[in-house]
Amino acid sequence: MFTLSGIVETLLWGVANGCIYILLATGLNIIFGVMKLVNFAHGQLLMIGAYVAFVASTALGLNAYLAILVAMGAVAVIGIGLERFTFRKVLGTDKLNEIFVSLGLIYVFENAAILLWGNDSQRIVSPYESLRLSLGEVAIGYDRIFGVLIVIAILIALFLLMKKTKIGLAMRATSQKSDTSMLMGINIEKVYIFTFALGAALAGVAGALYGIIFPFNPYIGALPTIKAFAIIILGGLGSIPGAVVGGLLYGIAENTAVYFLGGIWQDAIAFALLIAVLVLRPTGLFGEKGE
Amino acid sequence: MLEVEKVSSGYGMVQILWDVSFRINAKEIVSIIGPNGAGKTTLVKTIVGLLPSKNGSIRFKGEEIGKLPPYEIVKKGVNMIPEGREIFPRMTVEENLRLGAYVIADKNKVKDSKERVYQIFPVLKKKEKLLAQNLSGGEQQMLVIGRSLMANPELLILDEPSLGLAPIIVEKVLDTLTKINEDGVTILLVEQNIRDSLSIADRGYVLEEGKILIEGKGRELLSNDHIKEVYLGI
Ligand SMILES: Nc1ncnc2c1ncn2[C@@H]1O[C@H](COP(=O)(O)OP(=O)(O)O)[C@@H](O)[C@H]1O
Ligand SMILES: [Mg+2]
Repeated sequence: MFTLSGIVETLLWGVANGCIYILLATGLNIIFGVMKLVNFAHGQLLMIGAYVAFVASTALGLNAYLAILVAMGAVAVIGIGLERFTFRKVLGTDKLNEIFVSLGLIYVFENAAILLWGNDSQRIVSPYESLRLSLGEVAIGYDRIFGVLIVIAILIALFLLMKKTKIGLAMRATSQKSDTSMLMGINIEKVYIFTFALGAALAGVAGALYGIIFPFNPYIGALPTIKAFAIIILGGLGSIPGAVVGGLLYGIAENTAVYFLGGIWQDAIAFALLIAVLVLRPTGLFGEKGE
Repeated sequence: MLEVEKVSSGYGMVQILWDVSFRINAKEIVSIIGPNGAGKTTLVKTIVGLLPSKNGSIRFKGEEIGKLPPYEIVKKGVNMIPEGREIFPRMTVEENLRLGAYVIADKNKVKDSKERVYQIFPVLKKKEKLLAQNLSGGEQQMLVIGRSLMANPELLILDEPSLGLAPIIVEKVLDTLTKINEDGVTILLVEQNIRDSLSIADRGYVLEEGKILIEGKGRELLSNDHIKEVYLGI
């Protein structure tokens, strides 16, 4: 029943799935950290990313991995539009306004996707689909390995962006104190646009990677959003390292639960974790004390 | 250098400032004093663009800045140190200073300013790699003053810099301000600490309930009857 190779494989798959969650949770957390905005429609950006990559790989005939870049760019542009024309209007007003705007956007995106691509499941065909790396009895698909490598590269780039660039400095400052940041001469509207575009771009990549590994339809955004929230609460609100470690732990926990307890546990684990963390450590693993 | 003319401002429907007018000449130290809740913070926030002014005009070096966003005003050479030592706690001392120079594109200039700040406050150099939250209250005050100097401001506005600091440190802060002023920076000092701030100010204004009540020369104000009675208790 349970074999060592089975467990190792489960862990590897967990890491690979965790990578998609990491991208989604990191983007959500950057947007929350800098803008204090809770975007419940973040998972729909993942869904749109999957469809954009699908269109790029079918209609344009691009390699699935080039299609990731198209998804990243397109969803970043959608993010700019969202920030500029929806969230900016309500930012800093009642928190409920932001929540309802983002809840409304869920339906806008889902229905737009249904209108454009229908209800059926789609998949992105990768040229490496049938290739597997075998290590003894353990086998893992190339696509998952590439996914992990892409996410590692993105996280390194993100680290450099935050630590070494002026916009990164401005984002960190704004996340700590927005009024004081304005007094430094930071154009906070520009920081918000960039932040939202960046978070959306990460969701776009996550969606493309999702579509390469799993079949998808217009409704796939909802659960990943809840999982991403569980992850950032696990890792600490506003913390990028927290989102990374949280995403990894989450991916592994989810796959382990499926392996040992069965598939019906896959999604329940998100809520179990969420509740456990909220009860045991409300600030998350890496969380700052409230500020 | 700064002319504020009949400015009204507030929060939403609540008006706090009523037709406030005052001026600051180049190279002066001007102090605005007033009790807690008088509207001092509201006034300086309005000047730097954090709050919109409802009417009237704010001119810096002859140019209207009343409708500009804060980052444009900073670029023009006005810098404010807000109330309460607003450091960026989870950034290093050096990063805090770099943020002060955010509007300055020339990297060499930024380096020179940093050296200058380290000369004025050697302790900041010693602790440049520490997170700002690990500094003492006095050091944090030095950091925010140093940070504001990084932008090479022509007009420096300070909102209650002495609040919550030990008397020796307050004295040091005031000394530093005098020196910065001698280097050519015009200063607007907002304080409840009346004796200390008027002792270094060229001129002062008294703000009460959102209105300018009294205007005068720094030390002379200390012998004004109203100030003596209400603020100094003599
Ligand atoms: N964010 C705010 N919203 C509403 N009212 C405020 C706000 N901040 C300050 N006030 C009110 O404005 C008045 C002036 O406050 P403030 O400018 O901070 O005074 P001061 O700096 O002189 O102590 C006070 O009555 C205060 O309650
Ligand atoms: Mg005040």
